[in-house]
Amino acid sequence: MTEKSDSPKPSPIDMETALERTGGDEEFLFDLIEIFMEDFEPKVAELKSAIKDQNFTSIQEIGHYLKGSSANLSLMQIREVSYQIEIAGKEQNLEQAKENLELLGKEYAYFKEYFADMKK
Amino acid sequence: MAKVLIAEDDRISGNLLKRYATQWGFQVLSASNGKEAWDIFQNNDIEIAILDWMMPEMDGIELCRRIREEKSEKYTYIILLTSKDDQKDINEGLTAGADDYITKPFNSGELNARLKTGKRIIDMHNKLHKIAIHDSLTKLYNHAQILSILEEEYDRALRENRPLSIIMLDIDLFKNVNDEYGHTIGDAVLVEVAARLQKSLRVYDKIGRYGGDEFLVILPNNNLKNVRSVAERLRCLISGEKIKTDAGLLEVTISLGCTSTESGESRSVEDIVNVSDRALYQAKHRGRDCVMYI
Repeated sequence: MTEKSDSPKPSPIDMETALERTGGDEEFLFDLIEIFMEDFEPKVAELKSAIKDQNFTSIQEIGHYLKGSSANLSLMQIREVSYQIEIAGKEQNLEQAKENLELLGKEYAYFKEYFADMKK
Repeated sequence: MAKVLIAEDDRISGNLLKRYATQWGFQVLSASNGKEAWDIFQNNDIEIAILDWMMPEMDGIELCRRIREEKSEKYTYIILLTSKDDQKDINEGLTAGADDYITKPFNSGELNARLKTGKRIIDMHNKLHKIAIHDSLTKLYNHAQILSILEEEYDRALRENRPLSIIMLDIDLFKNVNDEYGHTIGDAVLVEVAARLQKSLRVYDKIGRYGGDEFLVILPNNNLKNVRSVAERLRCLISGEKIKTDAGLLEVTISLGCTSTESGESRSVEDIVNVSDRALYQAKHRGRDCVMYI
């Protein structure tokens, strides 16, 4: 991590609420996270081509999808960035979509690393 | 076990919903897009449908409209699944016919409470529906329902080019029973006649209380020859054994008028009812306790 900020980066997942949602079942939560990760990469590939084609409806839909599934797992930062992508699609703002696509990649990479550690 | 349809393209949310609903004793059928959900809906007795609002193929709003347009006796309780920031979707969804909504990410306690509400509404609907289509005394279908069944069966018979027969029957001199023994005994006679008739019919035959002491029997896929023997059997069923009442054993007979689409006299549901009525009138005229057919 090459964080320069003084305050440590907040956890990408709010474990307490995420576990609450799975009824305290950690194994089930981990399974759901695996599903999320399985879906994430193809969705991002779709998003990239939607941005390339300036297909705003599709940008909005993918943003909405990612927002929903990340919210269910309490992946707060990913949820926020996905929401911004949804809005970018809705408002047909290509720049905002591109910026947030990049941010999404970063937040996801951070979470992936965090989750790998968490499983250990 | 109540069947719940979960239409959700987001696998995380879909899995969570399925797990909870199953845990709470519902039978869950899952679909990952609107089209699939519509197929499942058409082939299953869905009591509660949880629909995500944004889905590929067919969105929740279209699905909701289709479910509401579907002419069915059974009510489906629709819960819309939406994000917190989609107030417009909630308004649109409720207008399109959704009963309730829950925002994602959902809280399991809230989901449980909302599913229970849905189940309660469905149970109430089913109870009221049952009351609405049955005659409270004899427990047979009531006038409106037996006619509605007749319309369906008549259409089907035409469509499939099959015969359909009906029997209109009533209790001979029933007024005398009421006058002589009182209405309580009259009611007991009606109940016993209804029970005997119903017990002797096939599952796909339908019987309803058409009026005071008149009953209408619908026999799908039965030609005129068959209906005569069925009617004769029903007649013997009543006259063959006295009815036990608080006023003692009563001798009761019925008269029956039959007709079939085969007779060529009827071109509509009204016609076929009128023809059977005419046949019944002829049976009365012939001295009662007999079968006439036109």
